[in-house]
Amino acid sequence: MSDLTERIPASFELYEEGDLGGLDLKGLGLYCEEKTSIPFSLLGNIYDGLPEEKIEAVARELAKIKVRDPGKEFDSGTPLQAERDYEERRIRGPRWRIIGILYEGIFYQKIIRDLLPESKLGSRNCTILFTNQLFGTWDQDDLRYHARVSLYGFPHLISTSGLVEAPAKPKEFYFKKQMGQSLELLKEEYRGRFIDHNDKRMTEVLKGYAMQALFYQFTGDPFCEDRDCRLFNSHWQEEVLHSQLDGRYEFCPRHEAILKEVKERSM
Amino acid sequence: MAEKKQIFKPVSEKEVTRAIVDGFARQFIEYVESDCLIIGGGPSGLMVGRDIALKGVKTLIVERNNYIGGGFWIGGYLMNKVTVREPGQEILEELGIPYEKAVEGLYVADGPHACSKLIAAACDAGVKFANMTMFDDVVLRQGNRVSGAVVNWTPVNALPREITCVDPIALESKFVVDSTGHDACVLKKLEERGLFKTAGYGAMWVEQSEDLVVEHTGEAHPGLIVTGMAVATAYGLPRMGPTFGAMLLSGRKGAQVILEKMKKK
Repeated sequence: MSDLTERIPASFELYEEGDLGGLDLKGLGLYCEEKTSIPFSLLGNIYDGLPEEKIEAVARELAKIKVRDPGKEFDSGTPLQAERDYEERRIRGPRWRIIGILYEGIFYQKIIRDLLPESKLGSRNCTILFTNQLFGTWDQDDLRYHARVSLYGFPHLISTSGLVEAPAKPKEFYFKKQMGQSLELLKEEYRGRFIDHNDKRMTEVLKGYAMQALFYQFTGDPFCEDRDCRLFNSHWQEEVLHSQLDGRYEFCPRHEAILKEVKERSM
Repeated sequence: MAEKKQIFKPVSEKEVTRAIVDGFARQFIEYVESDCLIIGGGPSGLMVGRDIALKGVKTLIVERNNYIGGGFWIGGYLMNKVTVREPGQEILEELGIPYEKAVEGLYVADGPHACSKLIAAACDAGVKFANMTMFDDVVLRQGNRVSGAVVNWTPVNALPREITCVDPIALESKFVVDSTGHDACVLKKLEERGLFKTAGYGAMWVEQSEDLVVEHTGEAHPGLIVTGMAVATAYGLPRMGPTFGAMLLSGRKGAQVILEKMKKK
């Protein structure tokens, strides 16, 4: 149990990047604080206050980590001027709405880590970046990139567009899309069965992902095999909705017990 | 009995031939040098052409097919309804193309109606066309600035090299637009010379990638503006579904870039 004590962060900090589509970060922070008794702070846009030369350097780095072909292992090329310009505009636009580029997640995490002071990194500190940008990681099993909702580590990354794009929608949705049915009409047909951009349920669902980040800090394992637990590693939208909104309980008995202990030790 | 009056005036074959050759030659000679040469007559190329020609820019669109319009005649799965997402319908409105709201933020128009209106709008604005004309290579000037295109008849390209010896010809212009879709033919020629490296469009479908295409539209190499799906190929952006709003808005942005650059010159 002494291990757990050492791993409980003194506080957790929430940063944001881009337009998060109405995500209530304060509400999310309060939820996690209530569950863990660990205080949180909202630190705003991750790029705030970056000096001019740093903006250019970060833009260059971001332009280098685009996954151009999800079927091939990442190969960093030399970004073109228009790509660097795009990233620069994105960094300078605090409510940047445009998404669609798939970034290499591990490198993305490194770029964000380099923006944080050394003191904010390590097991006693928990930093979570909520971004509207999409990132993915290479899967050695099927040799391709997969978009991800979250990437846990130092810092943790959680993506609102990842929540829409990464967990698979119902199979028939893709069949119909392949047959040429318009995306908007399909969305109407399957409304409610997946999380969409600007979805009102986004905050509630991402509370569970923020808790996964915290559990990563506590135990080194963010996930649970119980599909009723908010720590369940969902691969389908249906699973996301169930584990985050309709589960039998919020946390399974094992994780509830850990939370209880965390709470006692944090107070 | 009264003799039946002919409907059409009698004109001999030679006069018909003269009219075709003369009309074509006069226009061709005039457009051997233009302000802007647009390679690819799909929706983004037509949109660039229409917007700049309205401002008096001398514009020629080179199209490899007999027909102009590219994929704008049909939507997904060969169904002839085209969709645009908001705010693409503002351009439909501007061009007088009838459309209906499908769901919030999505509008649907009749493909043939939309495409023919866009072509007509480009023609009305003063754009000229060289159809059945294949882009062959770029013309480069000082500092490797793109300053025109080498073209040939499309059918020549379809024949085996061994039985054709039709040399291409060159057209000069202040700006060239690559609106050749995913093929990005003009950029590929620059790539062959080591002047550009296209990334190839990403295989992953992301529903909001239309914005990225518009956002990345612009001058990719001195003298060369890239619009439409060629933008996705240039910068490795994810591919999109059959919604045409990005093609129209990318074309409009390409036109703005050209107009600004012409103003500065």
